[in-house]
Amino acid sequence: MTSGRKIDRRTVLKAGAAALGSSLTGLSWAQTAGDTLTMGVLSQQTGTFAYAGDLVLKGTQLALEERQGSILGKKINLLVRDDEGKPAVGVRRLTEAVSSDKLKYFLGNFSSAVGLAELEVARQEQVLQYAAGGSEDFTGSRCSPYTFQWSAHAYTALRATLEYVSKTLPDKKKIYTITADYAFGQSLLHYTQVAAKELGLQLVGNDNHPSGERQFTQYFTKALSTRPDIICLLTAGADAVTAVRQFNSFGVKNVQIVGPWTLEVEQLRELSPAMRSGMILGLNYYQDIDTPVNKSFVERYLKAYKNVPSYAAAYGYDATRTLLLAMDKAKSVEVAAVMKALEGMQFDSIFGPTAIDARTHQTVRPYYVVQCKAPDAMKNEFDLATIVAQGDKPQPPELNECKRT
Amino acid sequence: MVSLLAAQLLNGLAIGMIYALTAFGLSIIKGLLNVPNFAHGAFYALGAYVCFAALQLGLPFALALLAAFLVPALAGAVVERLGVARLMRGPYLYQLLFLFGVALIMEQLILIIWGTSGLSATAPEWLQGAFDLGFTYLPKYLVFNGAMAAVTIAVVWLLIERTRLGSQIRAGIDKREMAQCLGINVAGLVTTGFALGAGLAGLSGGLVLPLLGANSTMGAEMLSIAFVVLVIGGLGSLYGALAAGVLVGLIQSVSAVFAPAASTVLIYVAMVATLMIRPQGLFGER
Repeated sequence: MTSGRKIDRRTVLKAGAAALGSSLTGLSWAQTAGDTLTMGVLSQQTGTFAYAGDLVLKGTQLALEERQGSILGKKINLLVRDDEGKPAVGVRRLTEAVSSDKLKYFLGNFSSAVGLAELEVARQEQVLQYAAGGSEDFTGSRCSPYTFQWSAHAYTALRATLEYVSKTLPDKKKIYTITADYAFGQSLLHYTQVAAKELGLQLVGNDNHPSGERQFTQYFTKALSTRPDIICLLTAGADAVTAVRQFNSFGVKNVQIVGPWTLEVEQLRELSPAMRSGMILGLNYYQDIDTPVNKSFVERYLKAYKNVPSYAAAYGYDATRTLLLAMDKAKSVEVAAVMKALEGMQFDSIFGPTAIDARTHQTVRPYYVVQCKAPDAMKNEFDLATIVAQGDKPQPPELNECKRT
Repeated sequence: MVSLLAAQLLNGLAIGMIYALTAFGLSIIKGLLNVPNFAHGAFYALGAYVCFAALQLGLPFALALLAAFLVPALAGAVVERLGVARLMRGPYLYQLLFLFGVALIMEQLILIIWGTSGLSATAPEWLQGAFDLGFTYLPKYLVFNGAMAAVTIAVVWLLIERTRLGSQIRAGIDKREMAQCLGINVAGLVTTGFALGAGLAGLSGGLVLPLLGANSTMGAEMLSIAFVVLVIGGLGSLYGALAAGVLVGLIQSVSAVFAPAASTVLIYVAMVATLMIRPQGLFGER
């Protein structure tokens, strides 16, 4: 690719982002001249998970709109970069944005693999990353002064989900796990073991399945032969959707399906209501969270996009909003000062009172347990589930691998 | 352990029949045109989406399955007539590229019509639930799936082996020029064969809808498995695909007992092993 073409693409993207922004607010955030601050969204805009990148951007735009596109008298210039869901592309786009567009803050990525690759660039270039995704490494073995994690910790997720299960289904003790055979799945499995032990639940077996698996009946035949009370799906995305469909074909009613970090709202919609009804799921975000910040967010999101926000959109909104709050607190847009302000910051987020761990940079926030509604209980097409519990127990310090002090 | 193995064998047999059905259609087209049909996955996906649409319209499942066969078959006939047939005289690469293009066009059209997020449909009530065999549960729908695939294969077998049309198709596959000399309308035959192959792919897509749903990547996923089945069965063999399909289903299912994480890779290992030990495939002629 020639450098001339690169500039072309960038200009087009910038114009696109500006057009999107101005269509929402009637204001243009595109850089003109003078005092500006450059923030970015690095996410998948193309490929299978393009939906997520688009949603992160929508959320971010709402957060910026709240501030009329400026902070502390500086105009915010929002960059949008497509990482195609690939770590190498993410790193390249980020490096370009830092060197040629003076990017200082970015959201990236909805996918842990890409986000972890970007973490190293952020550290090197001293720009601030607000990441999301299922990997515990962001705040564990690879924790970095420049990276903050928005998604709940895997421990918090498993603990909240299994605690609800053990409370409401006290006679269901035997759990069989089906786990995606990559870092994300294995990390969930690890914390399933930790949480099951704490709660006195019994893990009767586990199978790892390769990523992209489309045939799950053989795992279920095997799992059911151990007569479990619960099948816990430690997998995600299209694999999880397929698994639930195929489990449904067994018509086994006395085995509860639990997905601690398995299906987002977008994927739930791919299942027919009968297939998802009764399922217990853990979620990083659900639209019904009853806090003032979330209510106003959902209302404005619905108005702007004719849809309810989900995990990706909430991440875009809340992480951006948090960064802006930290800038207020620091009275500065310098990365070093904002970083300091974020560490230990206590504030009201879409989750209610929220804090950021000063050492690991984990956002200490609740994780939500929902139960999917039966078809006739749904009030409208968005009404997929009810929040039945929430938990915010942080990862036990002895299990944290972050070396920062 | 024995009961677990038995459970996986049953499960694998049912899955394998579907692979066999898809690969059988591919095998027919490959035989007639001597071109691997790169659009086969797209016809399979089309079948799933058509089946979904028919169910949405309130049609009974049987009619939805019929539509899942007919619409892709018709699409196949059009593709063959308008494109493949015209490229018959050119180099073989042209047909290949044409089919590749058709696959991309069909996949995008599907996305435009039905959207990017996946779709689900439930099996009719009498096929919901599972047989409790004591040592295992076997979903009724999975059994139905395997049985339907087996019946379809039997019908197509009868058609090819016992009817005049079938013997002409076989003649077209074996000795194209000779068949032409004998006054057989080979061009018409190729269209019929292509339509039949595409229809079988569509029918498999419709059959798996309650199990796999319909989504944008399903065509590509099935295409790679169908090619593996075809290679293991033998590229020159019409029926090799049947045995190989069942074999692949069994490998995938039984591996869940011993090495679940390797279930996908084992299929490809089987293909590579076949190519190394018996390159013509299990049933192919050298």
